[in-house]
Amino acid sequence: MKFNRRDFIKISSATAAGVAVSGLGFDLKAVKSHASLLKTQYARESTTICCYCAVGCGAIVHTSKLGDGRVINIEGDPDHVINKGALCSKGSSIKQLVENDKRLTEPMYRAPYSDKWKTVSWDWALSKIAQRVKKTRDMNFQKTNAKGQIVNRTTSIASVGSAAMDNEECWMYQTLMRSLGLVYIEHQARI
Amino acid sequence: MSKSILIDTTICTACRGCQVACKQWHDLPAEKTKNMGSYQNPQDLSFITYKLVRMTETQINDRLQWLFFPDQCRHCEDAPCLETAYDETAIYKDLATNAILYTKNTKSLDADEIIGSCPYNIPKKGAGGVLAKCDMCNDRIHNGLKPACVTACPTGAMTFGDRKKILSIAKKRLKKVKLRFPKARLLDPDTVNIIYLVGFEPTQYWDYAVAGLDRGGVSRSVAMRKMLGPFARMMRVG
Repeated sequence: MKFNRRDFIKISSATAAGVAVSGLGFDLKAVKSHASLLKTQYARESTTICCYCAVGCGAIVHTSKLGDGRVINIEGDPDHVINKGALCSKGSSIKQLVENDKRLTEPMYRAPYSDKWKTVSWDWALSKIAQRVKKTRDMNFQKTNAKGQIVNRTTSIASVGSAAMDNEECWMYQTLMRSLGLVYIEHQARI
Repeated sequence: MSKSILIDTTICTACRGCQVACKQWHDLPAEKTKNMGSYQNPQDLSFITYKLVRMTETQINDRLQWLFFPDQCRHCEDAPCLETAYDETAIYKDLATNAILYTKNTKSLDADEIIGSCPYNIPKKGAGGVLAKCDMCNDRIHNGLKPACVTACPTGAMTFGDRKKILSIAKKRLKKVKLRFPKARLLDPDTVNIIYLVGFEPTQYWDYAVAGLDRGGVSRSVAMRKMLGPFARMMRVG
């Protein structure tokens, strides 16, 4: 066995200086080029607004350009004026709203006193909601209060939401709720 | 040039944005956990959790303090795990960023030995003995992005950049923080690349917040093996 000066230096410095990176007989090019590829490399980028609270943070959505167009990644948008790329824990997990096998894709209905959910159609669900809202409102509608003043209200329905609505949506929502006679119209961020 | 992150725990609100952003970027699954009476969740780092905001309620000078410590791999300048492994196909350092990176080949290492060598108790063992930990989002850094945790941080508690720049920012920040927290200090700034700024005694945050003399490092047997390593390699080749 013989070793040259270079090997000797390597041996003696191995403990003190850690692994001498060069000349160990491994080709590291493959691992290194792997590290430089992003999972979002070939993805399409679009922007969105986080749907959770009223701050309205901007996010970038990376979707696959191939076939299914599924979401690969969603992260904070560094160019967005509100959050400059930052997201809280809820915002950071927003991809799971789309890519989630536990997500409901159809309306579900649990009848009173039942312990089971069943899948129903959108048409059925929406007309059922409309029927029940109307029934409850009509049953409890007050035209006048105890003093005989006209109030035209119902106190048996309340509305809670929504943080993610913009000005125009809020206006439409208010109009609908007020026309039904609701007085309890609240925003969930205050609860 | 080493890349570094400054984590200023005095402005961390423990929102866990970093923790979730890390999971999200690495496509790691959720952990099934139990309520342990603390907001800290999960209880420890794991094979599928590289970043964890540790939370401790404690009393300091007759006042309740809720201490937050976003724990992750420190990417040591001279990493004991890398030296202990002595196998560049399993644990290597990216010389462009000085990130310490683990590959699937860690399954051929003595996992307990590697874990024992870490002064910060970071590497975690998965099925088949593969080890995993924070990779500093090396792929993102190479593509001009900040690590996922730094990008996500809403309070600006995390700053990413070249080591020199981060060290000077850290020192400036420390001066400012000391006005409010007289005991404030940087944790092992000379030896690690993930530099924490804490307002109180580091061990009040977490046992492994700062490297201890009594744990981690390269053990005697490992040092011996490393001394013999090059000979053994030459013998094999010869």
